[in-house]
Parts: sequence; C-alpha cells; structure tokens
Amino acid sequence: MDNTLSFTKPLLETPFHKRTFEACYNNDWYRWAGYKIAREYSNTELEYTSMRNTAGVLDITPMHKYDIKGKDAIKFVDKLVTRDVTQIKPNQVMYIIWCNEDGNVIDDGTVFCFDKNHLRIFCAERNLNWFSDTAIGFDVEVKDVSDSIAALAFQGPLSCKILHLLNVKNIENLKPFFFDNFDLNGSKVTISRTGFSGDLGYEIWCNPEEAINVWDSLFKFNRDYKILPAGMNALEMVRIEAGFIQPNADFMSAEQALRPNRMRTPFELGMGWLVDLNKNYFTGKRILNDLKKKPLTKKLVGLDIQGDKPAIGSVLYDKNRKEIGIVTAGMWSPSLKSNIAFGYVDNDHMKIGSKVFAEIYHPEELEYKKIWAECLVVKKQFFNPQRRHKVPADI
Amino acid sequence: MKKFDVIIIGGGHNGLVAACVLSKKGKKVLVIEKNEKLGGLANYAESLSYISKEVIDELNIKIEKNVSENFVSALSEDLNHTVLKINDSKNIEFLQTSASNSDQKNFINLINKYNLFARTLRSFMFKRPPRVKSGSRSDIWQLFSMGFKVRRLGKKNMRELLRVIGLNIADDLEDNIESNTLKGLMSNEAVIGTNLGARSPGSILNLLYNQATNNSLFRINKFNTNTFLNIIENICKKNNVEIQTNKTVEKINILNQNVNSVLLNTGEVIETSAIISNTDPKTSYLELVGASNLDTDFIRRTKNYRTKGTVAKVNIEFESEIKIKNLDSSYSSGKFVYAPDIKYIEHAFNDNKFNKLSLNPCLEFYINKNQLSANVYFIPYLINSSHDKEKILSNVKLILEKFIEENQIISSIIETPNDIENKYNICGGHWSHGDMEIDQLLMMRPFYGSSQYSTPINGLYLCSAGTHPGGGITGINGINAAKQLLKVQGNG
Repeated sequence: MDNTLSFTKPLLETPFHKRTFEACYNNDWYRWAGYKIAREYSNTELEYTSMRNTAGVLDITPMHKYDIKGKDAIKFVDKLVTRDVTQIKPNQVMYIIWCNEDGNVIDDGTVFCFDKNHLRIFCAERNLNWFSDTAIGFDVEVKDVSDSIAALAFQGPLSCKILHLLNVKNIENLKPFFFDNFDLNGSKVTISRTGFSGDLGYEIWCNPEEAINVWDSLFKFNRDYKILPAGMNALEMVRIEAGFIQPNADFMSAEQALRPNRMRTPFELGMGWLVDLNKNYFTGKRILNDLKKKPLTKKLVGLDIQGDKPAIGSVLYDKNRKEIGIVTAGMWSPSLKSNIAFGYVDNDHMKIGSKVFAEIYHPEELEYKKIWAECLVVKKQFFNPQRRHKVPADI
Repeated sequence: MKKFDVIIIGGGHNGLVAACVLSKKGKKVLVIEKNEKLGGLANYAESLSYISKEVIDELNIKIEKNVSENFVSALSEDLNHTVLKINDSKNIEFLQTSASNSDQKNFINLINKYNLFARTLRSFMFKRPPRVKSGSRSDIWQLFSMGFKVRRLGKKNMRELLRVIGLNIADDLEDNIESNTLKGLMSNEAVIGTNLGARSPGSILNLLYNQATNNSLFRINKFNTNTFLNIIENICKKNNVEIQTNKTVEKINILNQNVNSVLLNTGEVIETSAIISNTDPKTSYLELVGASNLDTDFIRRTKNYRTKGTVAKVNIEFESEIKIKNLDSSYSSGKFVYAPDIKYIEHAFNDNKFNKLSLNPCLEFYINKNQLSANVYFIPYLINSSHDKEKILSNVKLILEKFIEENQIISSIIETPNDIENKYNICGGHWSHGDMEIDQLLMMRPFYGSSQYSTPINGLYLCSAGTHPGGGITGINGINAAKQLLKVQGNG
C-alpha cells in the first residue's frame, strides 16, 4: 500500500471485499470513490427481487463521511443546508441538500446527530473542500472519516426480522430517520433506519475490523430467508422506484458542472419542500428567495410511460412534437409492473396528470425500433409501501 | 441610543471623502476611526502627485500645488547617478546620467508610450466600473465606451497596448533600453507595493495603472497630503459629520440581510440603515460582517483575495544633514531610488515569494535635512511569525552606507506590513488593500459579487482601496461608494 502514484494504484478494497469478491460471480466491478464495488453479483433482477421481497445487502463503504465536531457544529450545518437543522435531536437523522450561492444544488445526503457538538454528514460526492470553506468563521472541525467506517445497507421487508433474529435488541422500535448503537452478534454497530431503497431498511455502520462478522451474521439465516448481496445495478432500480435522485445522474452537482445552465435549483428538482426560507441565513438563501417567486422553466418529474420499453436517454416532446426535455433515468419496474422514468419537462407540462411524449429507441436484434410513447406526469415517488414507515417495524 | 443615516467605518481619506459627499446631501453621518489621527494609510505618503478633476469638482475644493522642482535620482553603485527632472508627465529631462544618448531617447519614448496608454485607462478608470452580464443598459454602454476608448488609440497603438498590457516590464525594457540603471528605475515603479517582480506578467499593467491614478510615472511631489486631508476634514466638520476617534467597530449587526447597527469596542451599539466600510474587503467581510451571513462561494473568494503586503517603511534620523555621495545637494528634495537592475529586483522578489526577508532589498527614499524616510521592499507580510527588524535595518543601513556620506544614526523606526496591519486594521498590511493585478481590477475588484461598491448585505457598501479603482490617494473610491449608496437609496 506504499505505492503513492495514484494512477498505478489499483482500486481500493473495502473491508467486506473478502466476502463480496467471493459472491461476485460476474466479477463485474464498479468504481466508486476509488473503491471496488460490485455492479452485479450474479443477476441484477434477482438481487432486485431480494431487496423487494426478502432483503438485500449492499456494501456502501465508499460513501463519504464527514465528522463535524465543535461548539458550532449545529450552526455550521444550519448555514450549510437549506433545511432548518437547529432543532435536530441526538440520534436523529435528517435528509439534507446544500446549494451554492446561485441556489444550485451541490449534493444531497444525510446528517446524523450524535450530540449537539458532534454531527456526521454522509453523502455520495466528495465535499470536504466545500465543507471546509463553509466552516470558516465557525468553531468546528470538519474531518473526512470515510475510510475509518465500514458500512452496509440492509434493505428489504425482512431486514428488521433478520436483525431481530440476530438478537439486536429493540430494533423494531427504531423509528425511521433515527439511529442508535446496537450489539450485532458480538460486534458493536450503529444502525440507522435509513436507506436508498424506499422500503423498510437499515444502514449498518461499524469498525472495519468488525466488517466480516457483520456481513456473515446477516447471512446467518439464509436457509430460511434467502437474502442476497446486491450490486449497484439493483440499487439503481430500487432508487428510481423510490423516487430518489442522484447527483451527476439526474442533475449535475453545482460544484462539478462546467456549463452554467446545467445546474439545477431545489425547486427544479422537486425538492422545494426541503428549502426553508424562514430559517437563518444559509448559502443560496438570497437567490432561492427570489427564485421561489418566479415560475420554473423546467422541472424533474416522474413519468409513467406507455408500453414496456424503458425510456432510457429519451427525448421528451409535447403533443406538437416540440422538444421539451429529456429523460434522466428510466426502467421497467417489476414491482409496479409499469414503465417508469424521471425526466425534465417545461413549465406547461409539470403539473401532475399532464401528457407528454417520449421517443424511445429500443434495440431489437441489431436494429432500433422507434417508439412514440405517451407519458403521464406523476409524482416521482413511485414506490412507497406502508411497512417503510411502520413503528414497530414488521418482525 | 443614537441613530445615524450612514456610519463610515474608518477615517481614511476615502472614508472622509465619502462622508463629505453624503453630508452635502444632508445625510447624518458618523465616522469611526481606530487611531487618534484621521487619514489612515494616506499619512504614509508625504505628497500626492495628482488630485483628479472628479474629486476637485465633487468636493468643490481648491488646493495649492507645491512649487518645488521634482527630481528623481536613480542611485548607482559606481556613483554615476542618474537624475531626472520631471516638469510634468509629458516633460521629463535628464540632468545627469551614464546612459547613452540613444538610451535616453528610448527611455523618453517609452515613457511617452506608457503615458498615452495610461491616459486611455484614466478616461474610464475613475467611473463606477460596469458589471458584466448584469443586463443593465448603463453597464453595457460603459463597456462599449471602454472598448471605444481603447480603439480610439488607432490601430498601431491599440495593438501595442494589447500586446504589452499582460506583459512583464522587464521584457519591454530589455527590448528598448540598454542601461541597467534606467531599467531598474522604471521597474521600481512597476513593482513597488505589489507582489510582482520585474519579470512577473502584469507588471506593465500595474505601471500603467499607477501612472493613471497618479498622473505621473514617478509619483512626484505636487500636493501636500496633509493639506488635502485637512481640507476634507474641514468639509466634514462644516457639514456636521460626527467623527469619533480611538474607537473600533467590532461587528456589524445584520438582521435579515440588512445592516442594523454597529457594535463598538467600547460596548456601544449605534443603529443605522447604511454603512460604508473603509476597511479592506477581507476585514469587512470576514470580521465585521461574519461568515455566517455570507454564501460559501463568497467566503471562498474573500479568502482567496490576495492581500500580502510587501513594503516596509523605515524612518531614520541622522545626526547631521544627509549628503549623497557624488550628487548635487540641490537634487535632494526629490526621490531616490535604489533598484540597480532587473536581476537585483528579481532576486529581492524571489525571497518574498517564499516569505523570506530580502537580504538585498530595493529602496525608495526621501530625505529632509537629517531625516530619511524609505520604502523598503520586498519585506513580506508574515502570517505566523514576526520580522527580525534589526536585520531589515542592518540590510538597509548597508545599502545606505554606499551612498550617504559618513553620518551617525540617532534613531530609527521601522514599520513592517505586519505593523501596518495592526495599526490600520488592513489585512496583510498591503498598500492597496489587495494586489492590483488583472484578476483583481475593474469589475473584478475586490472580487465577483462585491463589485460596484455594493455587497451582498443590503445597506453595506465598501469604499476602501480594495474597491475600484484601487490604491493610491485618489478619493475616487469614496466618491463612487457614496454615489452608489445615494443611487440605491433613490436620491443620487
């Protein structure tokens, strides 16, 4: 590991690599923040099905984790994000987004509150630079602790049951968007009831040394409950169904976009509910205040598409065949038995129930079939079962 | 609790000029100054070489010119000094020099060229700089007229201006002149007070810019600074501007992105709806406004604004009258420059890059009987350590010994950029509150998001040298900031 030349350095292996490597029948790896993460273990549909019917285990160790410590920890996060976090309680998790001065979204993530002097932010992109510059003038220390915490997402309707069988005490009473410390088969872990699947699910955070034990424990009852390790492809499917958007897929992070018109405001992403303009000053507040009063020119909406051919990369048109936007993510949803997508539409078509058209190019044995499909504008959250919110959770 | 229409933070010349303009319009103005004496860093310059028509007209003042002749002497180690007599910016003659005739001619030609370009710059420099992409008609018109003025130089001159404006001074000098002394003399004007060496790109721009603000390449003694300061102070007093000295502003209190009041170090809170800050942009934003009221991008730009000071002031008192070796004493009313050649300046600059003291610094000094006052560069502003003042002094003495006839030093005072920072609350102790380089000029001064004297905070304006047109004792910053405030309040 002494090799300092980054371009000759192989991708890092997570603390779960010994197990994920064994399970990754396809040897299909995805590069995430310098780590090797399985894209597909054996079959994406199977992995997806396990997440929707039993439970799936995802290695999310490469996720960026930033410790915020100091007297002004809450004040700092409050200045950073668009939501009012001043009322955050210990053991609470909040979904947050942060914007730049033009009100364009940089990234989204979650903030965990350990106590009022110690918070931790989890996000998909690197943000240390932005956080450090935001920290100027605040009594806080921002530290990247990404490599010192191993993480698994354990998502699916049986996730609580299996944790319960593993004698994780009182896990069923953990409320959504809360976390606590637990003992999992001899390992000290932090479990939060959060996740990217839109279903009942947990995220398990532990020391890298405990990683293998935690992994093995989750598969302990696999004779009765067939849970599977799931790859990034399966995650992509569940997150679209759940209506979660991803930076640099559904929108360009404002810190990375080069073309100014590629950046998106929270309102354009349908995240206006996360913007609290009555709270203390935060980065972007001045512009967001003005933008709120103006009509949107484009908005990311959910689309229910005619037919069964996924509209990946399609261009959207109105009934006069005028181009109005594009699809950013699309799939055939096996759970909903419908053809769903996220797409940008113009002001005339952002109302729920509006009709737009997608031009889908569907490859069929070395030839493209061009499909003109009618789409219904719907809410982005396609999949939202009762069990996701239930307390106590199903065991 | 007292209430004022406008509070001006810092009684430097720009703050006072702004107070004059505002009080004339009937505003109730309060000026808060940290030191006993008003004028701030302007007290550093004994003389002014130019007071612009804009200031004279706006303030309706009369100020008398000094009648003395202006000399600039470039000292050379072989004691063959070069002396220039400067009648005005267009009329410069050599009184004595070791340079050849063709060199003298080329030197004058070069000065004329720079004069021409500086005049073009000056034609739009004292106005409020336009913003790019604001969409405002006046901004677009101003951008257009700036372009037009450059175009009016004619094809040949415009090309030459565009060729040299980003160049370094050493290249242009080496193309035209052979004499090292003359090269050093010109380079001195291009790099003093900056973080540029003679070979740094942008040094010509800095030279032109200085020439435009001072209306003279060599910053000559035409007006007395104290007289100018007294005049504007008297206008303030006449217009009932309240001036409180020996007080500092600790914090600007902000409510919903509007200025509300200021908190003084004495614990007083003074309410106001408008503030003009004459402190440098970094201090204004990071300390007075506070990072929690500003966007992160903005904080980033504030942090990256370059304010490293490079000039120390050394005042030495000698026992008897100072005499320069091999130089007529009638020239001693002028300025002396010791920057013998480009290489010497570059070496001094090199040390500055690494935050080290130059062992062989450049000097620019004035003498008055037995007093000597020198600007020494490059003496870098140090963040985490303090200067070895004895060492600076001994380095200066070693240089002076070469040129001054034997004399005993009685006392000496030295003010490094760190001292300037402490005394005047100027971040980095920079003469111009920030480097005058192409990315920190015009609509980019101090930085994007803070141009045209406005700030992201409603009711807060900047008027320091950190705004357009930058450093130098012009008073333009103060006038423009006051006008901007009046314009926003709707009675400009």
